[in-house]
Amino acid sequence: MDETDRLIDDLGGLPAAVNRVDYRRRGFHLEVLLNAEQVRKLAGMLRDREFYLSFVSAVHLLPAIEVLYQFASFALPCRIMARAAVTEGGTMPTISDMFHGANWHERETRDMFGVVFTGHPYLEPLLLPEEDADLKPLLKAEGELKTVDKISAQPKKDAAEPPAEEER
Amino acid sequence: MTTATGNQDRHSFFLNMGPQHPSTHGVLRILLEMDGEYVLEAEPVLGYGHRIQEKMGESRTWKAFMPNTSRLDYVGALICTHGYVGLIERMAGIEVPPRAEYIRVITSELNRIGSHLLWLGAFLLDLGAFTPIMYTFDDREQILDILEDVTGSRLTYCYYRVGGVNRDIDESFIEKTRDFIRRLRGRFKIYQDLITDNIIFIKRVRDIVRFTPDMARRYGLTGPLLRSTGIRYDIRKNEPYSAYSEFDFEVPVGTTGDCMEAYQVRIREMEQCLRIIEQALDRLPEGPVLVKTPRKLKLPPGDASFSVETARGELAYYLVSDGSDVPYRLKIRSPCFSNLSLLPEVCRDMLLSDLVMVLGTLDLVIPAIDR
Repeated sequence: MDETDRLIDDLGGLPAAVNRVDYRRRGFHLEVLLNAEQVRKLAGMLRDREFYLSFVSAVHLLPAIEVLYQFASFALPCRIMARAAVTEGGTMPTISDMFHGANWHERETRDMFGVVFTGHPYLEPLLLPEEDADLKPLLKAEGELKTVDKISAQPKKDAAEPPAEEER
Repeated sequence: MTTATGNQDRHSFFLNMGPQHPSTHGVLRILLEMDGEYVLEAEPVLGYGHRIQEKMGESRTWKAFMPNTSRLDYVGALICTHGYVGLIERMAGIEVPPRAEYIRVITSELNRIGSHLLWLGAFLLDLGAFTPIMYTFDDREQILDILEDVTGSRLTYCYYRVGGVNRDIDESFIEKTRDFIRRLRGRFKIYQDLITDNIIFIKRVRDIVRFTPDMARRYGLTGPLLRSTGIRYDIRKNEPYSAYSEFDFEVPVGTTGDCMEAYQVRIREMEQCLRIIEQALDRLPEGPVLVKTPRKLKLPPGDASFSVETARGELAYYLVSDGSDVPYRLKIRSPCFSNLSLLPEVCRDMLLSDLVMVLGTLDLVIPAIDR
């Protein structure tokens, strides 16, 4: 059992759905799907394991906006892509106290999507001017909005098999 | 302005640095709270050059967004484009011919040297040393000439294509590149005498700031600044893309993480770039440089990420596809954005003139931050 396996076990206990994905096709090693309540636990766990934060962003989907977190490690070949749907009120707990770089990323995400990060020390517009604070330019128009399953990799015959073989 | 009327209060004043200040290297504004010559707080104010690149990415086809990628980090435009074509190829499952990958590595590394040379000249200019930029620009000019011959442009290159590169390199390109390698190797001695051993330079940059590995993790610091803290992390080595795994090169690191070490890391990195280019030229495979791809390229639904090592650190593209020929979501992670975010922490109680040195060391490209 190597370090990545132990990490997968621990992440699974958050609880979260953790999938090992094919790096050559996806560009990251682990996909983590979790609830907003677990995001801080995830960040704490990765902070303890000396991961760094690559970015925080979001994608507008149906039924909810999903906030994206990418972490990577200077030591382990392990890039993690985590996704969490924001709760109904449109809020997400901040991780900027653990990963200070998240401060700006969360401000940008608020600019672009209107996601409010609770506990953020200074959630003011970053890239947009103050008068456009409620513009939320990256939200999709009604007709363009897609559901989560439309943007998920379809379990096609050829796509699903190689990772399955790897596990064996 | 405040006057000293008592000694119990902090007598501070605010100072706007930028958005049109030469040493912010672009339209960056830093709001400074000062106590005399000392910085109490610094708050970068971004967005002056915001063009909403990510929205543009969602409103045109994959291929049509390509020219935008070279306008993010325009000093290392080829490397930015490299990441983007890599991402599309990764998602579409397109195999790139080996010759094209080698040409990409050669041109990307030339671009990286050009970027470091521009940084070197500008960094010393910030410091008040005017002469070095004349030397570095003379060297950089050779690179621009070489790249112009094959790409057709001198700054915002759009040379890579999904499936390869736009046109093959010829004997003249190879010959000129080999000449350049010889030339630059001879110039390092000049830079050593002119800059590295210069006592004024050393006194201005040594120990004015300390970047630490923990700080790097907290802020997502990458690139030469991260390596100056002693962490050997380079995407070209840690997650090799393109043909980088086929070359023998070292990743230079420092120990204490200050401006001087970041400077030395960059200088030594240029030597390694030359080694990579040399090996690639020696072993350049024969064959086509571009595979045919469908005119209307549809990517399968799903998401993928692609990271490249730019001259400033990790540039990551993350895209979500809904199966059409237009991206559903394209996120661009710029190294300068994360690198700059640690400025408020490191520059507290620092002399204003030292803050200029730290900004120079960060090697910022503002359009890449504002996107």
